[in-house]
Amino acid sequence: MSDRAAPVVTAPVSMPPRGYRISSLVLCLCGLATAGYLTYEHYTGSTTLACSDTGTVNCLKVTTSTYSEVLGIPVALLGLLFFVAMTVLCSSQGWALSAGRLPLLGRVRLVASGVGVLSVFYLVWAELFRIDAICLWCTAVHVVTVALFGILVFAAATSDISQPALSHERAGSSS
Amino acid sequence: MGKGTRSREAARIRIEQMRAAEVARQKRRRLTIATSVVVVVVLVIGGLVALKAAGVGSSKGSTNATYGSTPLAANVAAQVTSVPAATLDTVGAGAVTGGPTKITAPALSDGSKPKVLYVGAEYCPYCAAERWGMAVALSRFGTFTGLGMTHSSATDVDPSTPTLSFHGSTFASTYLSFVPYEQTTNQPQGTGYKPLDTLTAADQQLFTTYDASPYVTSGGSIPFVDFGGKYVISGASYDPALLAGKTQAQIAAALSNASSPIAKAIDGNANAITVALCAMTGEQPSAVCTSKGVQAAAAGLGSG
Repeated sequence: MSDRAAPVVTAPVSMPPRGYRISSLVLCLCGLATAGYLTYEHYTGSTTLACSDTGTVNCLKVTTSTYSEVLGIPVALLGLLFFVAMTVLCSSQGWALSAGRLPLLGRVRLVASGVGVLSVFYLVWAELFRIDAICLWCTAVHVVTVALFGILVFAAATSDISQPALSHERAGSSS
Repeated sequence: MGKGTRSREAARIRIEQMRAAEVARQKRRRLTIATSVVVVVVLVIGGLVALKAAGVGSSKGSTNATYGSTPLAANVAAQVTSVPAATLDTVGAGAVTGGPTKITAPALSDGSKPKVLYVGAEYCPYCAAERWGMAVALSRFGTFTGLGMTHSSATDVDPSTPTLSFHGSTFASTYLSFVPYEQTTNQPQGTGYKPLDTLTAADQQLFTTYDASPYVTSGGSIPFVDFGGKYVISGASYDPALLAGKTQAQIAAALSNASSPIAKAIDGNANAITVALCAMTGEQPSAVCTSKGVQAAAAGLGSG
């Protein structure tokens, strides 16, 4: 059997360093836990929200403001869904797929993270200039989202997400 | 090794060096772009914080300068109009200092339904306090739409007490009719406030007649509520200062927490108002009128 007849198998040549992959997953899990807590509080009337409710730091004022929903969907729930998706994308299987059979997944991960950062811009603006209060839990989610974006940007820079990995067939034929 | 072979080897090494240099250049370029992107993100957020710190676009101090009412956020309205029955039962009579007073007067009705007449004004801090309990109680008998939110006058006692507004709202119920009037906004005009709702002649007559002695102790006060000619309220049932510094959302959220001082005042007031409403509807709906919280509030109501 010649090299040309060998089955096409993608090789994991564009995987970013292990540190990026692990830290991205850890951040996703932190975001998942915080967003999950905020979602729980949203649906239980925020009666047990562990946060100051007076002064500049006022979680309740933020989480019950008109900016706590987008098109009728709670922002906390959107955050939870975002981190569920990002956790899947940043899992070891997600990284393996994006480095192998589904290189498009790398772009989806990066774009989704970018959308997360744009959401952070909007929510920080709303807190500072419309609600006049800061929610510490929300800020924690914002920090995680921006940090995750930074890690994914550097992960993309240290790997090649724009080109599919070489196949064994092509590698064989060129040798 | 022949000359040609050495030459090919040298060429191969040069090509590999050039490739390595190109890879390194691309890597540096990617890292530069990545760094730039992250720096831009941090700068945008830092810029927003810096603008806030510099006072640009701050709404602090402007709250008191806003006039009239705005639509109440749907989630806040939902919290006000659907306080859990268990919470209302737990609060019972709550912590109120006033409430409906029984009167003897001709029945007040609107068509076939008994009528609740409310007369208040958006500038009025006592009306600001009373509306919360009114909205909670009435929501046990029907459905509000178009509730507004506003605050009392910034220059009166209990300045800028956060509240709802009945102006422009509608209330649908099979049990009773609710006719609210917010006589003025909270916007100063001349020596008073900008007019808003005008009472019909008939309702003005009722207001003049029953918001006076012997039906109430302090005639002419608002808020005034006539519950079908069976009970009246004149003034606030608790201290509006309890709501100072809170937002409508915070107050609405507190209504479901039976141990909060806000729930004890507003939910307790709502139970007392429910007693008056039940007197109008023939104790219907029975699940509401025989509830533990309403019974507890009924035991504490006086008569005029």
